[in-house]
Amino acid sequence: MAAHEILAATNAVVTLDVALPGIVWPWLVTVNMWAKSIGTGVIFMLFMLLRLYPEQAGKLRFPTTVVSIIFIHIFLLFTLADLHQPFRMWHIFFYPHVTSAITVGAWMATAFVGLLFLLAFLSFIKKDDAAFDKTLTWVTILAIPVTLYTAALMSQSTARELWQMPTESAQMIFAALLSGSAFMILMSGSKLNYEAKKTLGVVLGLSAFMSFVLYMSEYIFGPMKAEEIAAVLEYIKGDGPYTVMFWLGQWTAYLLPMLLIVLSRASKSESILKLAAILALAGLWLVKHVWLMIPQLLPMS
Amino acid sequence: MQLGFLVDLHLCMGCKGCEIACKVENEVPLSTWRLRVKYVDVGSFPETRRTFTPLRCNHCENAPCERICPVSALHYLENGIVNIDKERCIGCAGCVMACPYGAIYIDPQTQTADKCTYCAHRVASSMMPACVVACPVQANIFGDLEDPMSNISKYIEKNQGNVQVRKPEKGTNPHHYYVGGGNVTLNPLASARLEGHSLFTKITTLPVGGHH
Repeated sequence: MAAHEILAATNAVVTLDVALPGIVWPWLVTVNMWAKSIGTGVIFMLFMLLRLYPEQAGKLRFPTTVVSIIFIHIFLLFTLADLHQPFRMWHIFFYPHVTSAITVGAWMATAFVGLLFLLAFLSFIKKDDAAFDKTLTWVTILAIPVTLYTAALMSQSTARELWQMPTESAQMIFAALLSGSAFMILMSGSKLNYEAKKTLGVVLGLSAFMSFVLYMSEYIFGPMKAEEIAAVLEYIKGDGPYTVMFWLGQWTAYLLPMLLIVLSRASKSESILKLAAILALAGLWLVKHVWLMIPQLLPMS
Repeated sequence: MQLGFLVDLHLCMGCKGCEIACKVENEVPLSTWRLRVKYVDVGSFPETRRTFTPLRCNHCENAPCERICPVSALHYLENGIVNIDKERCIGCAGCVMACPYGAIYIDPQTQTADKCTYCAHRVASSMMPACVVACPVQANIFGDLEDPMSNISKYIEKNQGNVQVRKPEKGTNPHHYYVGGGNVTLNPLASARLEGHSLFTKITTLPVGGHH
C-alpha cells in the first residue's frame, strides 16, 4: 500500500509534534564525500595509468600524490568542521569504539594520509620510482576501504532506509572512479597523449553510466520495497523540494558527460573531454548533496 | 536487571506533565526535548478523536546509536539503560542519524548529543524517572523487565496481544512498550503533516553551532 493510500485510510493529521531539527549532516558532509572521492579516485587512476601507459604516467607520480593529499585534507578539514566538538577529535584515537564505521574510517584515513606523504617523499625527495610503485600498490589497496567506509557509515544510519550498504558502496566506488578520471583528464595536460586520455574517458563514461543506472534503479524500484523509501523519494519527485537539484545533478554528473565522451571520441576532441570532466565533477557534488539531504527530511516520529 | 518503560495510551490524556517534568529534572534547553508528546487527530468532523503518544528514547537492546558512536559516549549501563557521556561525545551526530525514533538531538548549550536516559541518575538513587512521578494517571510504567513480579512485567502479562513497540522492523528490540497503540500513534508515516494544522504555529529552534 502506497504512503498516500495509508494516509487516506487513516485520515489522521499530526496536530502537535515538536519534532527535533531535521538536517544534522549539512553541506559540509557533502564536501567531505566529494573531496574524498577525488582524493582516492586519482590514486586509482594513477595505478591504472602506470600499468597501461608507464612512459607517460611516470610524470604524474608526484602531481597526483599532491592532488590526493590536498583533497584528502579537504575531506578531513570538512569532517572536523562538521563536528560540534572538533577539539575532541582525539577521542576517536584514545576512546575508540570499533563497531563504528567512523572510528575505523578515521584510522584508515590517517594511515592513508601517512602513506600519501611517504609517496610524496619517494617521488619528490628520494626520486625512487620502483619504491614509489611498490608503495602505490598498497596505497591503492587501502584507498578501497577508505572510499567505502562512508558507505558503511551511511548503512549504520539505521534511521535512513534509503542508504543501503551494497548500493552505497557501489556508488562510492563509481564516484571515486568518475571523479578520479575526470580530475586526471583535467590535470594531466600535455603529460598524457590522447590515447591515454581516451582511456580515462572510458572510465569516466562507464562509471557515469553505472552510477546513473543505480540511481534510476533506486528511483524506480526502491518505493516498491519499503514505505520509508517511497516517502523519502517523494522529495525528488513532482514538486518535491529537491526534484530540480536531483535531475540537474543526474544530467550534469552522468548524462551530459556520457554524451560528451561519445562526442569527443567521434570528433577526437580533447576540449569536449575536458568539458565532460568539469561537468562530472560539478554534478557529482549535486548528486551527493541531494542523496544526503532527502532522508533527513523524513519525520522520525 | 533490564529496565524498561511501558506507556498505556488508553490512559494518557496529553497533559504534557511528563514532558515538563523531564525538562525541569534534566535541565533540557529551549527548543529541545528528551521526551515529547505527539498529538494526532483522527477522523472527519464530527466523528473525530485526538490521540496522544509520549515519545522518548527506546533504550534498544540492539541500539544503533551505541553501535555508530565512535567514542563510546553512548553506552549500556548494567541495568540496560543506554546512557550518554556528554564529556566524551565529539558531536559527530552519527547517533542522531542512526536513531530510527528521532530521540537524539544536539544540545545547543553543550554542543553534544543528548537524549532520555530513563533518568539514570534518579534510578541510581532508587527513585523513579521524573516523568513517571509527574504522570497524573499512571500511564507511564517503569521497572525491571526481568523481574516477573515488577509492575511492568505484570502489565505486559495482563495486556498480552496489545503490547507494541515502535518500528519493530528495524530490529532494534526496544525496551519501551506501548499498550493501546496503533498505526496512527506509532507509525510516523501513517499521519499527514499538513501546513496550518499544528497547534503551535511558530516553533523556533535554537542554532546548534556553526553551519548546522
